[in-house]
Amino acid sequence: MSGPADDRGSGGSRKPPDDAAAFEARLSDLEAKLGKVKAARGDPREAEAEARIRGRGMAYGMRMATELVAAIIVGGLIGWGLDWLLGTKPWLFLAFFLLGFAAGVLNVLKAYERLRKDIAAETGGRIGRRVPDDED
Amino acid sequence: MPDPIHQFDINRIIPIKIFGWDASFTNSSLFMVVAAVLTVGFIMVSMSGRSLVPNRMQSVSEISYEFIANMMRDAIGDGWQKFFPYVFTLFIFIFVCNMLGMIPGFFTVTSHIAVTAALALLVFTSVIIIGFAHNGLGFLKLFVPEGVPAAILPLVVVIEIISFLSRPLSHSIRLFANMLAGHITLKVFGGFVVMLLSAGGAVSFLAPLPIVAAVALTSLEVLVAFLQAYVFTMLTCMYLSDALHPGH
Repeated sequence: MSGPADDRGSGGSRKPPDDAAAFEARLSDLEAKLGKVKAARGDPREAEAEARIRGRGMAYGMRMATELVAAIIVGGLIGWGLDWLLGTKPWLFLAFFLLGFAAGVLNVLKAYERLRKDIAAETGGRIGRRVPDDED
Repeated sequence: MPDPIHQFDINRIIPIKIFGWDASFTNSSLFMVVAAVLTVGFIMVSMSGRSLVPNRMQSVSEISYEFIANMMRDAIGDGWQKFFPYVFTLFIFIFVCNMLGMIPGFFTVTSHIAVTAALALLVFTSVIIIGFAHNGLGFLKLFVPEGVPAAILPLVVVIEIISFLSRPLSHSIRLFANMLAGHITLKVFGGFVVMLLSAGGAVSFLAPLPIVAAVALTSLEVLVAFLQAYVFTMLTCMYLSDALHPGH
């Protein structure tokens, strides 16, 4: 800090005037470079929010598949049980299998709706915003 | 090749018979006890100081409290405090069991569907009881979505009921299947190393490759162990939220 060989530019005021000018130039140069990097990277808060959303996305992704399959299995089991009770093989099984599929799709849609709401709340509506359907 | 399924074997440590039922103390029970003792012990030790400025151990306890509290506040809303002990216990138990399973040679309690199904059915029945206790018959509004034409309402109600009944199944299968599959994969890759080495000659030089894969998989499994505990808890929160506010 105190030696004359100190060239780290930490004490600008103690340097001769031309040195200070060079220092200012370097500083503004650095600021411009930093600005460019920042612009390329985007807002750090945004990156953090995106990382959090990605983690939640993974959690939701693991949910979706089991939600669909579980509802189909439950639907099929209910139909099979009712068939066994009422002796209407195989019609109720077929009907409830299809209803189970519908319930599975419903499960996935509910999970998706929840995810969309969460993300919209977190990012202030920039991601996960509802876009008007252009086919209507 | 070593049997990749062997790690899930249940062994009786202390055989107990109650009225002809096998209620033995098994290696699974042992690791459940270990998880419970570790958790209670850690929280008691870490919170014994109760300092205003927490040290590292106290921070861990406080962060886990805040993590669950925030999740519940977001998912349940009003009245989340009553269910905090239940949800917190669920999360910590599953998380610690999953993490204990990551230690080589340890038994993974959550890789058995009997355990995860018991946990999921506990959530399922408590949601039904809490729902009826809180809203009376208004809880049945959960099965009748608003704005559906009367003509297809019966169909929609049946679909909603199937969707509701599928919850404990998906809830338990997800946790069990993820833990089971991850541990089998790790074991299989470990087995490849032994097979390549015992093949001898030039083939043995390929042995490091599955080790690299196993290392990468281990870190993935640690992530999965956390994520699955998180998902299980988050879904519990959502179901509890349905029980408290079935209108939407």
